[in-house]
Amino acid sequence: MHDLTTKFRRTPAGLLRIVLFLVLGMVWMGVATQATYAQSSVRAPGNAVNLPDDQGSANTLGNVSDSEIWDAIRGGNPNAIEALTGPRPEGAVFNTTGQQWRMLREGVIRKYLGWFPLVVIGLLAVFYLLRGPMRITGGRSGKTIHRFTLNARVAHWFMAGVFIILGLTGLMILLGRPLIAPYLGLEANSILTSAAKEGHNLFGPLFIIALVWLFIKFVGSNFFHIRDLKWIFKFGGFFGGHVSSGRFNFGEKTWFWMVVLIGSVIAATGIVMLFPWLVEDVRWLQLSTILHAVGAVLLIGVLFGHIYVGTIGMEGSLDSMLKGEVDENWAKEHHDVWYEQMTGKSAKEDQS
Amino acid sequence: MSALQFIEGPLFYFAAAVFLLGAFWRVFGIIKIGRKKDISPPKGSAVGGFIKGNLRHFVPRGLFARRTWLHVLGGYSFHLGLFVLFFFGAFHIKFIDQYLGLSWQALPRWGFLIAAEIAFAGLIVLWVRRISDPVMRLITHKSDHIGTWLTFLVMLTGCFALQQSHDMLKLVHMLFVDIWLIYFPFGRLMHAFTFFLSRGNSGATYGRKGINL
Amino acid sequence: MTEKADIAVAKFLEHTDAEAASFFDACVRCGECAEACHFFLSTKDPHFTPTYKLEPMRRAYARDKAPFSGLKKAIGLAPKPVTEEELVEWGPLVYDSCNMCGRCTLVCPMGIDIAGTIRKMREGYAAAGLAPEGLERSVEFVKKTSSPMGVTLKALEAQIKHQEKECGIPIEIDKQGADYMAIFSSMEIMGYPEVLGAYAKLFKKAGVSWTISSVAYEATNVGVQIGDGPLAKEIVKRVVDAAEALEVKHVISPECGHAYGAIRWAGPNMMGRQFKFEVVHIIELLDKLRREGKIPPGKKDGRKITLHDPCQIIRRGGLLKEPRSLLDDSCDNFVEMKYAGLTNFCCGGGGGVSANPRAKDLQTKAFSRKMGQLDAIKDLEAIVVPCGNCRTVFEDGLDEYESDYEVLGLSELVAQTLAE
Repeated sequence: MHDLTTKFRRTPAGLLRIVLFLVLGMVWMGVATQATYAQSSVRAPGNAVNLPDDQGSANTLGNVSDSEIWDAIRGGNPNAIEALTGPRPEGAVFNTTGQQWRMLREGVIRKYLGWFPLVVIGLLAVFYLLRGPMRITGGRSGKTIHRFTLNARVAHWFMAGVFIILGLTGLMILLGRPLIAPYLGLEANSILTSAAKEGHNLFGPLFIIALVWLFIKFVGSNFFHIRDLKWIFKFGGFFGGHVSSGRFNFGEKTWFWMVVLIGSVIAATGIVMLFPWLVEDVRWLQLSTILHAVGAVLLIGVLFGHIYVGTIGMEGSLDSMLKGEVDENWAKEHHDVWYEQMTGKSAKEDQS
Repeated sequence: MSALQFIEGPLFYFAAAVFLLGAFWRVFGIIKIGRKKDISPPKGSAVGGFIKGNLRHFVPRGLFARRTWLHVLGGYSFHLGLFVLFFFGAFHIKFIDQYLGLSWQALPRWGFLIAAEIAFAGLIVLWVRRISDPVMRLITHKSDHIGTWLTFLVMLTGCFALQQSHDMLKLVHMLFVDIWLIYFPFGRLMHAFTFFLSRGNSGATYGRKGINL
Repeated sequence: MTEKADIAVAKFLEHTDAEAASFFDACVRCGECAEACHFFLSTKDPHFTPTYKLEPMRRAYARDKAPFSGLKKAIGLAPKPVTEEELVEWGPLVYDSCNMCGRCTLVCPMGIDIAGTIRKMREGYAAAGLAPEGLERSVEFVKKTSSPMGVTLKALEAQIKHQEKECGIPIEIDKQGADYMAIFSSMEIMGYPEVLGAYAKLFKKAGVSWTISSVAYEATNVGVQIGDGPLAKEIVKRVVDAAEALEVKHVISPECGHAYGAIRWAGPNMMGRQFKFEVVHIIELLDKLRREGKIPPGKKDGRKITLHDPCQIIRRGGLLKEPRSLLDDSCDNFVEMKYAGLTNFCCGGGGGVSANPRAKDLQTKAFSRKMGQLDAIKDLEAIVVPCGNCRTVFEDGLDEYESDYEVLGLSELVAQTLAE
């Protein structure tokens, strides 16, 4: 009969290829972002005329200075924090927050956010080169314990699938202008952005379903425990030393709650953007785009860590999501308390 | 001739012909093999069993459904969603009208979108189930993956084109439709036509024996 | 390709009729069938997924017989030919881990009859000499003595004499022109001879004449189990010839699973003609006699009793209500087990598995599902198992799991509770 395990062993190599491809892609994206911004630093148009300063009367109207007039139109000092949070001032004509939102989006988010996942990948690469994958001490025992039901696995991969589609289309919408347009042209970027936007909007609601489903399936074992503190002090055993943990360790729990909490923010802000008439003040929409982008890129970055530990970083981890069963030795090593609960045996005895 | 004209014109006609003739040939080819006439004295009707078998297997048996509810839900979501979005999407009705001169009431856009969401959710559940279980990986053939992914890409490119902003997006969608149609008769997608034969054949055998399944 | 593989593949193709072809082409590889199979459920080994067991035959079909197979071969897209090693590898899947119980068909969204297709697949294995040795040995016995357990006429006569003494009713052998001719499984004759006495008592009460043939008393059809068409025909022919020579009106198929299908449904097709007598299952007959008032029920059995549904009689034989109405008359405290009826689990020994020593461990494991069903019934005392083969499997299994429920045959129970 076919040896099933050989089939699985092939999987990490394939995943490695995918990860490598993603890394290269992200590096290119980062470099390209910088290049674009270097080119398009703010310049005056070629036909601009500089007005001489001494023609005072032209800049004043009666005894009200220009700046006072503009302040009145804007409804107060645009740089005051109340402009962002308070009610819109009486008599204001302009919405000045739009400019601030634009500056934040163009100058900060589009410029720097994309680097975060790249940094994560870089760190993981360095860690992998220095420490290599974490092998199961004593190898596989051949005996397995049940870890995830098929429905839990499907819930996980459903989330994974929806997340990847949303992640890719989202990044295209956010970074298409600086990354795609300069190379493929505005027309191509327009086509891709239109496609990505429709895809993103359609898959968005599925993310909410995935999130609720994932929450229900996994929340039970994800409450923090006092032993998680030890895990933190020992850096999760990534730099040696034994760490004790239950069904999920501190890292996994943190990832779970990040997905749930940040995911909820992404979901809520996504709904606001899909149905903008739900809010009256445009500043909610501006806030939504910012939170949505920051939250999503944060999750994308940490996701690489999750993928790393689940695949090439730790021998035997992937089994849990591909078979639902994990090797007993893997369980003893990484989830000793859970192993003891499951089998009633001690995890300390010599590993068979 | 523009690329879109080609894809919507000659290529589409070719694909549709391959689809229709191929699917017919495959069903006909199976029936043509024939089966030996059963001469044992019957206890019930084979024809009745054929029909009953076809209807009975639409509904999962309760005790099995409790074990496999997610699969049943995924399967029905995908198939019903796809059915609704294909036959009641405004663009699709217009497209059919253009070729066959038939048209009917379309769903409003929000209805279409909900059908699409349901279909996508179902299809993703069905496929991730395929890769996340040893049983499923063992029995899955290449044509299961090809069929699933082609269908997914047809649906995805369709949803990409929803804004109707660029001909290019429609072109990509139609290109995948053409590929899907050409692949259809040769792979697993044929189950859409062969299911009535297999359900019917079992049903007929049981029906003839007077088994009330 | 080796010679054996050639023979097997040729047989696979010969037996792939429009029905099997539609099954192969309709299967969407959804894996639901695994959820119905007691071998998968009790081992969690993915190889025991029912549709996977058909793989070599499906591939032979896809390569050489399916529509477009020529086209696919021409462009190099046809599946690889089936090799002897693969056939050997699949042997345990085709013989040891399939009782041909048909439970998987119920869950299949495509309604695929995997059990029936396994039956066809075994033809290829048997023809190529790839069937399990244990079953081959039964075949040897059948060729010598007509019975897979080597039951001779002498042994049968001894059992009959003993039963005549026990119940005080004579049993006539080779009675010309009797209404009914009974055949039995070896299991019953050697292990549960009380059934002979039960028949005598019931038929005397009902006032019908019956007999046992001295040349064709064996109902077990090893040919069907192993997948040997010519042998199956030979075994059926022996019964048909004897029944027609004695000019009986009916042949009674015993409490034995596959024997009923072998003679009732496959029989006429193997012989190529209809019989001059009618085949009736003993449960069907008893139910009919009961409804006609010929065998009125008397004092009921008071024990807590449940019923096992032998697959070939209930699910694949269609006798769902008859055993239940008989039991309602025969016992006070009848309870159904979980999954009772059409969806009941097989005992794990059907389809030749119990005659196949290689499959012993697997059979015991599969029986754990049955144990679960039984143990779920509080204070259960006895199980009615209307199939000789299931009965031995139950006795072995209950022994293995250290359980002491009593196992009863249906005819005996009906005879015991008959009105005086």
